Amino acid sequence: MISRVADHAFWLGRYVERAESTARLLATTHNLALDAELEPAACWRPVVVVAGEEAGYAARCAGDLAAWGDGERVETFLAIDDEVPASIKRSIAAARWNARSIREVVSLDAWEALNELYLWSSGDGARADFAERRFAFYRRVRDATQLVLGLMRSTMLHDDALDFIWLGVMLERVSQTARILDVQHHAYTSISNRHEVVETSLWLSLLRSLSGFEPFMKQCQGKVDAEAVAGFLIGEVRFPRAIAFCVQAAYQRLAAIRPPTADDLPGGATLARLGALHELVQRRDRELRGPAVHELLTLVVDESHAICESLGKELFGQG
Amino acid sequence: MTTLLSSYQPLPGTYDELLTADGPRPAFARVTDALGAMSGDDLARLQQLAELSLLQQGVTFSVYADNRGTEKIFPFCVMPRLIAAADFAHLERGLEQRLRALGAFLDDIYGEQRILAAGVIPPEMVLGAAGYQPTLRGVKPAGGVRIHIAGVDLIRDPEGTWRVLEDNLRTPSGVSYVVENRAISKRVFPRILDRARVHRVDHYPTRLAETLRAVSPRPGADTTAVVLTPGPYNSAYFEHSFLARTMGLELVSAPDLFVDGDVVYVRTTRGPRRVDVIYRRTDETFLDPEVFRPDSVLGVRGLMRAYAAGNVALANAPGNGVADDKAVYPFVPDMIKFYLGEAPLLAQVPTLVCARDDDRRYVVDHLDQLVVKAVDEAGGYGMLMGPQASAAERAEFRDRILATPRRYIAQHRVELSTCPTWIGDRKELAPRRVDLRPYVLTSPTGPWVLPGGLTRVALVDGSYVVNSSQGGGSKDTWVLKSGGAI
Repeated sequence: MISRVADHAFWLGRYVERAESTARLLATTHNLALDAELEPAACWRPVVVVAGEEAGYAARCAGDLAAWGDGERVETFLAIDDEVPASIKRSIAAARWNARSIREVVSLDAWEALNELYLWSSGDGARADFAERRFAFYRRVRDATQLVLGLMRSTMLHDDALDFIWLGVMLERVSQTARILDVQHHAYTSISNRHEVVETSLWLSLLRSLSGFEPFMKQCQGKVDAEAVAGFLIGEVRFPRAIAFCVQAAYQRLAAIRPPTADDLPGGATLARLGALHELVQRRDRELRGPAVHELLTLVVDESHAICESLGKELFGQG
Repeated sequence: MTTLLSSYQPLPGTYDELLTADGPRPAFARVTDALGAMSGDDLARLQQLAELSLLQQGVTFSVYADNRGTEKIFPFCVMPRLIAAADFAHLERGLEQRLRALGAFLDDIYGEQRILAAGVIPPEMVLGAAGYQPTLRGVKPAGGVRIHIAGVDLIRDPEGTWRVLEDNLRTPSGVSYVVENRAISKRVFPRILDRARVHRVDHYPTRLAETLRAVSPRPGADTTAVVLTPGPYNSAYFEHSFLARTMGLELVSAPDLFVDGDVVYVRTTRGPRRVDVIYRRTDETFLDPEVFRPDSVLGVRGLMRAYAAGNVALANAPGNGVADDKAVYPFVPDMIKFYLGEAPLLAQVPTLVCARDDDRRYVVDHLDQLVVKAVDEAGGYGMLMGPQASAAERAEFRDRILATPRRYIAQHRVELSTCPTWIGDRKELAPRRVDLRPYVLTSPTGPWVLPGGLTRVALVDGSYVVNSSQGGGSKDTWVLKSGGAI
């Protein structure tokens, strides 16, 4: 397929996933902050960091330290702010823009679902829902993005275009899960006066933000601690938001686009790099405690960034 | 009970497409009974439904070239424009004849120039046209076709006579709205549409794809045809995307293409792939910086060399602008006689050519009665509506005409025909002026006319300007099948 089209397909997938992921994180944190016995800033600062908007938020709040614990302000900033590149509203607009740029490859059903989400999110409806029915707002973003992804899978040709969209979804999810886990892991393990009940509620909240609460409980049968949660969200290949699952799915999509044996086609270096990451995150022979978790997750974030750059060079015609 | 049509008043001295002063035209009886029986509230509801579905489907055009991508729906009126079978059969024959003559004219101008040697058209009218590309003389396009797609603008005078207003032979747009408007009619008027027995229009993309493949320099299964767009910021981007999608072709922009050894390739995720036919929706001056604009970074370097070598077909061919130049237009009936030996079937609008001394003197003395148009502008720009203009505007045009007479032509204003059109804030139908743009596809076997077309309507009360950039909208155009009136 045309390199530019592949690029738009990839980013379409990434932005849809990012909108959903941000909605999940905000909803869960909102919930957590209501009854967690935590400093508000300990709840909300990690959310801003995960979104990659630490500098943007600091600039916006201009030295007002209380802003870091102001959940309402963080939510408004990351949900409906037009000026914030990582906001849900901007992610939806960017997803829709990419889809519109390749309208000839996106199915009509998927396009209409995404366009309706965009029309809602850019209009008065979303502002009213956000102000008066906060959870309905997040719910709608999650439902609509899932509808878009589902319609793509059920109404589009299963060929390169869908593979690139899905590659974008999976690589975005890899870095979202890695950053959420890393930031929260760091914040929680460094809280002084740790209390077992508080800590457990934090881990459960983290799992909920990734829809991983019930699957985790099935796997770990009630044993909730830092090591078990990190092990699950990094290495569980059967859970669709765990890093190992997403890296494996990304590898499969790229291998469909550019088979490992097709040495005459571009993309070989990216595939090899993704394969190496796949090996790394599946390893079971290590302890996932303290700094080791942070080191591994940093490596995952850096590697997925490098893989996206390599995709740009090899397949999207960027230099 | 007053129905929508019983209270409708056609404009005096103007042809109304649907009704005469005595009531609906007999050819449309099977439709007007049902349309006329609706109430204002019914039509208001259907109009709202139509607008919502256009918005949700993203049938929009870009308004500003900014990142936020402001988009609007092309204003649409649900009341269809009807054309009787016999009327359209006449148009079809006339358009086929006209396109055969215009194609022969282009072949001749970029070849021997027999028509100039014979003195049928003054050479300076042709060779001085902005659209004439002297560098293309002697280049024969792959497949032998130059006007693959034409969108000819027609109007109807107070006697009901169809007249050609403009031949758009470069990159005519609007056909996507023809297909989408029909989809809307099917949703809002399913029963009436069925009863009316209307020619379908949704096979246009298939016919267009066949037309494009037919001129490929490498016929066969391997042929790759693409649609070339300036990009999503272009106001007609929806249409470019629509056509690519419905033809199953890839939509490319110039940076996706490159030329090597006079062959065009597209950059893909599997390396370069050869391109044989390009349906280009970019202006020809942005096709190839080597030829048209050395300063431009837009376009595909070397494309014209590949074209001249016969390795790629371009639809439409570059250089066509010489044939739809407004100062060449008055000579089309002469072309028909010269190349085909036939009498023209379609009338056109009598035109004064300011390059001629007699015509120019008449024009500057009668500016208050004439419509003056710049020959190389379109979209309703660069024109003077004499009867409505101020004295200062007329004086300005007088100076411009005297400075560069070749750039101007003038016509008496034609009372464009009207159609009953939905006026939302008054909840009633009122007469508004319309034109018609049918689409003609030409392949090596000859021209084919889509039985339908884009009806553009001047939504502003009293306006004669139907362009979407200046307050125009569109209507679905129903060409009725012949016979079987119920």
